[in-house]
Amino acid sequence: MNKKFRLFDFFLKSLIWISGIFIFTVLISIIFFVFYKGLPSISWNFLITAPSELDGTIGILPMIINTVYIIVITLVISTPIGIFSAIYLNEYAGKNKLVKIIEFTTETLAGIPSIIYGLFGFAFFVVGLKLGYSILSGALTLTIMILPTIIRTVQEALKTVPNMYREGALGLGATKLHIIRTILVPSSIPGILTAIILSIGRIVGESAALIFTAGLGYSLPSGFFEHVKSTGATLTVQLYQYAIRGESLEIPFAIASILVIIVLIVNIATKVIAKSFNKER
Amino acid sequence: MKMNNFKMQSKNLHLHYGENHVLKGINLGVRPNEITALIGPSGCGKSTFLKTLNRMNDLIDNVKIEGEVYFDDINIYDSKVDVYLLRKRVGMVFQKPNPFPMSIYDNICYGPKLHGVVKSKFDEIVEKSLKGAALWEETKDRLKKSALSLSGGQQQRLCIARALAINPEVLLMDEPTSALDPISTIKIEDLMSDLRKKYTVVIVTHNMQQAARISDRTAFFLMGDMVEFDETEKIFSMPKDKKTEDYITGRFG
Ligand SMILES: Nc1ncnc2c1ncn2[C@@H]1O[C@H](COP(=O)(O)OP(=O)(O)OP(=O)(O)O)[C@@H](O)[C@H]1O
Ligand SMILES: [Mg+2]
Repeated sequence: MNKKFRLFDFFLKSLIWISGIFIFTVLISIIFFVFYKGLPSISWNFLITAPSELDGTIGILPMIINTVYIIVITLVISTPIGIFSAIYLNEYAGKNKLVKIIEFTTETLAGIPSIIYGLFGFAFFVVGLKLGYSILSGALTLTIMILPTIIRTVQEALKTVPNMYREGALGLGATKLHIIRTILVPSSIPGILTAIILSIGRIVGESAALIFTAGLGYSLPSGFFEHVKSTGATLTVQLYQYAIRGESLEIPFAIASILVIIVLIVNIATKVIAKSFNKER
Repeated sequence: MKMNNFKMQSKNLHLHYGENHVLKGINLGVRPNEITALIGPSGCGKSTFLKTLNRMNDLIDNVKIEGEVYFDDINIYDSKVDVYLLRKRVGMVFQKPNPFPMSIYDNICYGPKLHGVVKSKFDEIVEKSLKGAALWEETKDRLKKSALSLSGGQQQRLCIARALAINPEVLLMDEPTSALDPISTIKIEDLMSDLRKKYTVVIVTHNMQQAARISDRTAFFLMGDMVEFDETEKIFSMPKDKKTEDYITGRFG
């Protein structure tokens, strides 16, 4: 019996190791392959110019700027709304039917293909609200797309805050709002950061929801705020355009390398921030 | 200008959790500067009663409370009462130590900050509260360390210090030593006799010896009724009710 059990244990452990090594190898191979194909085509010029027939340049500076614009605008709108909604659902709403319906809806929304958000964003923001193909339309569409993820991630974080903290603070005469500010939000900062990384990942990787909303623009901004109202492709959208033209894969891979680098930097930065938060407590 | 010589008093207090009739008309008076112990078998309503004294039950769904609870001569269930101020004046220490995930210093200052005490007083309050909870010597060099790095017994004393920091008049303690080792327990019991000088204490305990050692009066609860309430000495030497006698001699519960 004991021997059998040990054999089984060994078998399970090997399985875990094999899957671990497999996943790690796949990840490293993909990154390596992308860099191998892409890095050689990246030059300083590639990073600081716009695509232009006249000048004969094929740079990606506008797309880098567009990507940053869309990330920042989307997060600025969606993070506060997401955090407030999660707090409301978790701390105020109780356990009635309406909340169950809202939770079910958020879960469903999180699983809808992004092209559907793109169509909705086109109909509602681009045409309906007359925002046109613009970075703003794109960011608003993505806001709707990532809100469910933010709400759910923050809600999970709030659920892990032990009830005895809430009780302890109430016993000292704290109001609910005060407890949220001083205990719940600080304790869920790692969760909030996770929500932000997940969102950045989705925004950076998104193409379907943006093509019909933010459009395909590739000119450099004419002004800091005007740019919000002009059309602009993100790196991924541009990559997609180059790739379906099928002429050469050099530029798509170059853009892909930059995307991989951005995602790595965002991930590492968030880990570092989360760690420094944890150290303080 | 008090109506009587009770610090807190419940009058014909009934409490229902949904269909469950948990407190069945409790009349109990807590005298100032005394330690009142609540004993009784599990599930008889001790914690529930304790929580009615600072309205910590209000938050539970489906709870129905009838009767009156007086704090000095204010009926605390009156709609005009400021619950948050009440909880500042009637502090609570819970069964499981529950320090907040912040430094020892910030834990103590949480209440004072909340109630608008000026920052310049904090150092003094921290020292005074920690001394009051017999924790100062162990923590004075690590006040900025996380409270979660303390041992269970230290954490519970920190929670007592945190409650003392807002100068409550009454301190409610729900089995404060049940999660602690004998040495920490003795430290907290020693502390209690000091606390009595400045505060009025109501403590729930499952430990008969503890009730006998530290309390002035003891109330015996059974299935939502208060069977007997008297001076601790009398309860433990010559209980009037057969059920009390059976319980304290360990014949049931
Ligand atoms: N939040 C709640 N919701 C519903 N019922 C509850 C709640 N808290 C306690 N009860 C019920 O009320 C009764 C009394 O519980 P209480 O916690 O007051 O008992 P206790 O005397 O403190 O017991 P113990 O010694 O085990 O702590 C029990 O039947 C319990 O199931
Ligand atoms: Mg209890």
